[in-house]
Amino acid sequence: MSVLLEIATIIAPLFVIAGIGFAWGRSGMPFDTNMIGGLVVNFAVPCLIFSTLTRLEVDISDFGAAAGMFSLAVGANIVASAILLRLMRRDIGTFLPATVFANNGNMGLPLCLFAFGEEGLALGISIFVVSASANFLLGISFVSGKLSLRETIKAPHLYVVMAALGFLFAEVQPPAWLANTTYIIGGMSIPLMLIALGVSLARLTVSSFGQSFILGLYRLGFGLGIGLILSWFFELEGVARGVLILQCAMPSAVLNYIIAARYDRKPDEIAGLVVGSTFVSLVTLPLLLLVAMQGPG
Amino acid sequence: MSLFAQLSAIICPIFICAAIGFFWKKTGQGLDPDLVTTLVYKISVPCLIIATFSKVVVTPQALASLGLASIFLLILNGILGALLLRIFRLPFPSYLPAMTFSLVGSMGLPVCLFAYGEEGLAHGLVVFTITSIGTFTVGAALAAGKVSVDKLLKEPAIWAALAAILMICAGWKLPVWMSNTSWLLGGIAIPLQLISLGASLAQFEVSSLGRAFSLTIVKLGLGFGLGFSLAELFGLSGISRAVLILQAIMPVAVSNYMFAVIYKREPTEVAAMVIVSTAIAAISLPLILAWLLTGG
Repeated sequence: MSVLLEIATIIAPLFVIAGIGFAWGRSGMPFDTNMIGGLVVNFAVPCLIFSTLTRLEVDISDFGAAAGMFSLAVGANIVASAILLRLMRRDIGTFLPATVFANNGNMGLPLCLFAFGEEGLALGISIFVVSASANFLLGISFVSGKLSLRETIKAPHLYVVMAALGFLFAEVQPPAWLANTTYIIGGMSIPLMLIALGVSLARLTVSSFGQSFILGLYRLGFGLGIGLILSWFFELEGVARGVLILQCAMPSAVLNYIIAARYDRKPDEIAGLVVGSTFVSLVTLPLLLLVAMQGPG
Repeated sequence: MSLFAQLSAIICPIFICAAIGFFWKKTGQGLDPDLVTTLVYKISVPCLIIATFSKVVVTPQALASLGLASIFLLILNGILGALLLRIFRLPFPSYLPAMTFSLVGSMGLPVCLFAYGEEGLAHGLVVFTITSIGTFTVGAALAAGKVSVDKLLKEPAIWAALAAILMICAGWKLPVWMSNTSWLLGGIAIPLQLISLGASLAQFEVSSLGRAFSLTIVKLGLGFGLGFSLAELFGLSGISRAVLILQAIMPVAVSNYMFAVIYKREPTEVAAMVIVSTAIAAISLPLILAWLLTGG
C-alpha cells in the first residue's frame, strides 16, 4: 500500500467521526457534554486502559519508558513556554497550561491506534495517563494559583493503570467476565471522545485569534521538535518513536478551555488557542504522520 | 474454562453495564434519552451492522433461513400472545407489543456476541433487524392505532441492513477506512444501550407486579417453545439455532414502554412487565445458556 493511501486510511475515521460531532454541534441539536464526558472519563476510558493493557501484555519497561520520556517533554515544554510567555508579556498562569498540555486523549489515542494498532494504543495510553494527571494537577494549580491534588486523585486513570500492571506483574490473566466487561465498555471511548471533540470544536466561540493563534502554532511546533529530539536522543525506533512524536505534537487540550472557563482566566483566548491549534493540526496531520511513521534518519 | 466461568463471562458484562446506568440515574445524573437514541440507533447500530457483516462470512442461505425463522417467531409470538390476552381479557394495544417484542438489541446482541463470538453477533443482528422492522411498523401501529411506514424508512439501521445484504450477496468488501470507521462507531451501541437500559429501569413507575409476573412467565415460556420448534422446523443448527433460541427468550423490550408512554397505553403495566421479565431473565438466561453451551 502506498504511503499516501495508508495515511488517508489512518486519518479518515478520525475526520468522519469528529465530523459527525462537528455537524451535531453546528446543527444545534442538544448534546449533553457533561453526560458523555462523565461516561467517558469515569467508565469508558478506565475500561479501555485496563482492557488494552491486560489484553496486549505490553512490555512494562516500554510502557514506563514512554511515560518517562513524555514527562521529560512536558518538563522541557514548561520551561520553554514560561520563557516565551515572559517574552510576549503574557500571564504565565493563564496561558502556560494551554501551551503545554495537549489533547493526548481525544485525539492522541485514536491516532496512535489507527497508525500503530493496539501496541501503539498501549504506549499512547501510557503517555495519556501522564498527560491527563499532569493536566489536572499542574493545569488547575497554575490557573487557580495553588497546588491542588484533588482532581488528580479523583481521576480513575492512575488506579486502573496500577490494577492492570498488577495483573501484568503477576502474569495472571484477568477473569473472562472482567475482560469482556472492560472490553465492551472501553469500546465506547474512542468514538465518543472523537464525537465530543467535534462537538466542542463546533461550539467553542472564538472572538479573535491574534496572539493565541501564535501560541497554538508554538504548541504544535515545539511539541513536534521535542518529540523528534527525544526520540533521536534515546534512539527510539518503530512504534515507540512514532507514538512519542505523535503524542508530543498534539494540539492544545479542550480540558484547558474547561479549566480556564471554570476559573474565568481569559477563556476566549484559550478557546482561540485550542481551536486554532486543533484546526492547524488537522491540516498538517498527514505530514505529522509521515514523519512519525517513517524510520529515523 | 468451567461452565460457571463461561456463563459469568457472558452474563456479567450485561448486568454490570446495566448497573452502571441504573446507579448513574439513581445518583441523580442525567442521561438524555434523545441523545442516547440518536447515538445508538441513528449512528452506531447501522455501523455495527455494516462492520459485522463486512467482517463475518455468512452465506446468503444461512441468512435467509434464520431471517425467515425470526419472521415466523414474531408472527407466531403475536398470534399466540393475542390468544392468551383474549383468555386473560386484557386489551391488545397495551399488552400485545410487550408480549411480542423482546429485548433482542441491548440484551440479545451482547449475549450472542459473548456466547458465540462475532459470528454469533452477526446471527443475532439478523433477528434484531427483523424485530426492529416489526417494532417500528406493527408495534407502533398497535400502540398508535395506525400503520406508519415512513417511520421505518427513516431508520438508518434498515438501510444498513439492506447494504449488508447487498454486500453479502454480491461479495463486495468495504475499503479499509470505511470498515475501520464503522467498526469504531459500532462499538458505542452495545454498552450505551445497556447503560440506558439500566437507567430506564431506575426510573420506571410500576404497578401490579402480580399480573406482570404471570404474563412474563407465559411470554418467556412461549418464546422458548417457539424458538426451539422453529429452529427444528427450519432445520437450523449450531450457532443459528442457538441464536434463534436465545433471542426468543429475551425479556420484554424497553421500546414497548416508550410506545406505551407516547400513546398512553398503561405505561406502568408495561414497565412492570419489563422489570419483572428482566429480573426473571437473570435466572432463566444462564440456565438456557448452560443447556445450549453443553450441547443442548
